[in-house]
Amino acid sequence: MNASVRLSVSSLRAHKRRFAGTFLAVFLGVAFLAGTLVMGDTLRASFDTMFGNATSGTDAVVRSAEAITTPGESEGVREPVDADLVTAIEKVPGVAAAAPNIQGAGQLVGANGDPIGGQGPPTLAGNWIADPELNAYQLAEGRVPAKSGEVVIDRGTAERGDLKIGDTTTLRTPDPVKVTIVGLATFGGEDGMAQVTFTGMTQADAEKYLTAGPGEASSIQVRAGPGVGQQELVDRLTPVLPKGVEAITGQESTEENTDMISSQFLAIFTTFLLVFSGVALLVATFSIHNTFAIVVAQRTRENALLRALGASRRQVTASTLVEASAVAVTASAAGLAGGIGIAAGLQVLFPAIGFPFPEGDLVISVLSMVLPLAVGIVVCLGSALLPAVRAGRTAPMAALRETAVDQSGASRVRAVTGAGLAALAVAVTLTGVLVSPSLWLPGTGAVLALVSFVVLGPVASTTAVRVLGGPLGKLRGVTGSLARRNALRSPKRTAATASALMIGVAVVSLFTVFGASLKATMDQTVSRSFAGDVAVSTPSFGAGGSGLSPKLADAIDGLPEVDTAVGLGRGVAEVDGKGRALTVTDPVALERTFDLGNVQGSLNALGANGIAITEKEADKQGLKTGDKAQLTFTDGKKESFTVRAVYGQSELAGDYVITRAAWAPHRTQDSDTLVAVSFRDGVSADAGKAAVEKVADQYGNPEVQTRDEYAQSSAGGIDMMLTLVYALLALAVLIALLGIANTLTLAIHERTRELGLLRAVGQTRSQLRAMVRWESVLVAAFGTVGGLALGAFLGWVLVKASDGASDSAFAFAMPPVQLAIVALVGLAAGALAGLRPARRAARLDVLRAIATE
Amino acid sequence: MTTATTTVRTAARVVDAVKVYGSGDTSVRALDGVSVDFPVGRFTAIMGPSGSGKSTLMHCAAGLDTLTGGAAYIGDTDLGGLDDRRLTLLRRDRVGFVFQAFNLVPTLTVAENITLPLDLAGGKGDPEWIDALVDVVGLRDRLHHRPSELSGGQQQRVAVARAFAGRPDVVFADEPTGNLDSRSGEEVLGLLGRAVRQTARTVVMVTHDPVAAAHADEVVFLADGRLVDRMESPTADKVLDRLKAFEVPS
Repeated sequence: MNASVRLSVSSLRAHKRRFAGTFLAVFLGVAFLAGTLVMGDTLRASFDTMFGNATSGTDAVVRSAEAITTPGESEGVREPVDADLVTAIEKVPGVAAAAPNIQGAGQLVGANGDPIGGQGPPTLAGNWIADPELNAYQLAEGRVPAKSGEVVIDRGTAERGDLKIGDTTTLRTPDPVKVTIVGLATFGGEDGMAQVTFTGMTQADAEKYLTAGPGEASSIQVRAGPGVGQQELVDRLTPVLPKGVEAITGQESTEENTDMISSQFLAIFTTFLLVFSGVALLVATFSIHNTFAIVVAQRTRENALLRALGASRRQVTASTLVEASAVAVTASAAGLAGGIGIAAGLQVLFPAIGFPFPEGDLVISVLSMVLPLAVGIVVCLGSALLPAVRAGRTAPMAALRETAVDQSGASRVRAVTGAGLAALAVAVTLTGVLVSPSLWLPGTGAVLALVSFVVLGPVASTTAVRVLGGPLGKLRGVTGSLARRNALRSPKRTAATASALMIGVAVVSLFTVFGASLKATMDQTVSRSFAGDVAVSTPSFGAGGSGLSPKLADAIDGLPEVDTAVGLGRGVAEVDGKGRALTVTDPVALERTFDLGNVQGSLNALGANGIAITEKEADKQGLKTGDKAQLTFTDGKKESFTVRAVYGQSELAGDYVITRAAWAPHRTQDSDTLVAVSFRDGVSADAGKAAVEKVADQYGNPEVQTRDEYAQSSAGGIDMMLTLVYALLALAVLIALLGIANTLTLAIHERTRELGLLRAVGQTRSQLRAMVRWESVLVAAFGTVGGLALGAFLGWVLVKASDGASDSAFAFAMPPVQLAIVALVGLAAGALAGLRPARRAARLDVLRAIATE
Repeated sequence: MTTATTTVRTAARVVDAVKVYGSGDTSVRALDGVSVDFPVGRFTAIMGPSGSGKSTLMHCAAGLDTLTGGAAYIGDTDLGGLDDRRLTLLRRDRVGFVFQAFNLVPTLTVAENITLPLDLAGGKGDPEWIDALVDVVGLRDRLHHRPSELSGGQQQRVAVARAFAGRPDVVFADEPTGNLDSRSGEEVLGLLGRAVRQTARTVVMVTHDPVAAAHADEVVFLADGRLVDRMESPTADKVLDRLKAFEVPS
């Protein structure tokens, strides 16, 4: 064995404990990364298989060729096709079967009266296709719907809603429909298509509730006869199809569906997780670097002796690096295994919490093996590189000197560099935020700010610990002031230890501030533009939910307590070539319940060919009142609309408003997303709300909320997101705490004799423990305060940058309570990190500690 | 101090002290039935060749280590009956220590090091006494320095001041001059001697240096874990002669 390697091996063997922290940091980071990759691949593969199975019987899909996609949506809206086309298609040679497929939104109400799903994945309803091979769902129990009111639902939904065959419940289409469950279905062999809910009804019911008129279908599914390939089938079908209708192969259709899930759901999901594993690994970098730096410092005399005995610089450096590699490789390999274990565990856990994670083997691609391993090794070796080089530079003379532990830190160069970087960061950020709004300038500024914090750490740590620890001496006497001075001993080390926590806390605070600002923005939006008293809506998120019955607004409007009730529906059209969401409503009533700001022209007479536009959009498109705008609808019809009004505020009302009369010829399944209600004068809020609730009850029981409640529920999704973010960041914070614990353990090892002396002259074990714990708390406090400051700053930058870069106005808000909680958690975590080192220190044998060398 | 010094003639004593390290075949009897008194107001030196058990005797008598057999007392407190916490408190309140090296906490100033045991106890001590001590050890102008800014002799003088700060029943010194040059050593020994004679303190010192031992009122000699001799009013020559006698195989 080579000398360097032999030295590293013996050193590793002698100091297994010191590397436990490093090992864990790499392990956790790599495991997270590997777990994310494996889980992403597995989910993707499972969805592919599931869709493949479900739709394997469909050889071609006939549908409208044109789709209008509005910004922020991946799936375009298509005009329905004529269901009668089935007759023509069936006559085409090579066609074995064809069936119309009607699809719309329909949310089931569970046995407990609460709607099922709606928080993200779509809630679908459609006709039950009789041909089992054309139907993506397979009947598993019971029978198919035979008469009006009978439905088949997927088994997953049935379980979530506690519904059984024979049960009667409500389906919101959005008009409440009484349905009886006669059968349960599976999708591609699974209980359901992930969290998507499905209700299959008779064709007549589907046409009645899910389409605008009879004889419409979303698409037509076609099965080929024996010996006819999919492409061949498409080629044969195309000639019989009218203009604007296309045929695609079943395979293409499946790919479109799986791509949509991959790009929409999985890509976001995995990217999100990858970002957090990145944060965790960044934090790990600091912890690992610190460990090696301390170990090298502690080994100065040993290394100097080696150099004095003739070891070259390279040999000493190499021996440290070999040590790091050994830790890196074992920890990364273990992390990889752990990551695969996490993915396997989640596969078991997800179904248990009601998320049908598709079964199937874990998919472990080469990338998800190589990437985490490589990242783990690079992070670990990279972190050890500087300390290793420093080890090599040890002068042989150091063996003879009584070397003090690394005390360096607050050099002038560092202070100047750090201050310069910080100033640059602020300048770049402010330019990006205030002068020329963009996202990349603040982004650069944020990175610079982070770097400047790390560079300035040692300079700041002395002052910060002195200030933060100021009260300690008074509160905890000599124990406190000893803890404070120990934390001040090596500013570089304290800063490096705290930096890890700082990054974790900064990201937490960033999200906390950004979340609070988003909520404040929602709040502001509602209070600024919603002039009504109550809002009726279905709590939903993403693509779920079925909206409100369009009849609801009229029903509420008829109440004696109500002055105005206006329903807001949603339509899509291309305006001057771009897909846009349209607000379909009664513009006169709209003006009464929403504050639309400054209105030019009049909303009173939009009629069937008038449109109202926000100032912002009007400016963009160069339109003013009296101008003509070209709208293209999903049915391909182009119509010219006259701009009759231009209004100032758009947040809740949308950018384009047309009347129901104008939308009627193009409508599909009708639903409103919101009904805004204002009461007559003299009607109390409670009485009015109660009256509205009574009516709403008959329309599928949507939520009736006061303005404040509505604002709060609009922000509900943000809380959910924040919770997830906190859970993911817990890992980074855990790694940072391991770093603190490790540094403390190493420091205690260094101070063995000093601790022994303290014990000999009368420090009790509990005093000693308290001393170590308080040191830990101080380091954590420094990291937490730095993180809070950095996070709050970055949060402000993000809010301002979003404000500048996007159309809607963002409000900035600092949530003092949440930030105080973050601070407390940081401190408590510091105390926790100090527990083990403190216990170890207290177990120290006094006699051995004070024994002379 | 609450100890009734008028009735208790000894500041510390061990009775039939036995200390065995290890067990079975590899066990070593570091102390083999030693009984010795350290009278109040006396400066006693413990001498003996390496491995004679002199450091073990001191550690056990001071409550840093526990005996395998026999008993150790500080005043009339039996150390055998005390748990770690009580032993610690006893060391803090009633015993002073001066070690060979690494006597001071590097993060504390000279003044803070001196009052460390008092601070740990949460008390103020006797400010006049401490003030007087500072003058005796001659470090008034160094009170706010850190130990790293002091010479070895100065550091050891701070340690002596700390050892006496709480007016302990007894101060144990373990080779206090081992790391010092002869002049600094002489200063430290002078301090210990003066403390005993002028302020009626009790000092027990382990040393292998006959010159250091000559500062004591009495020397006790240990060999192979047994008390072999006592010598009143020692001089360096007499001690050296006695030590030479050990080297002759008996």
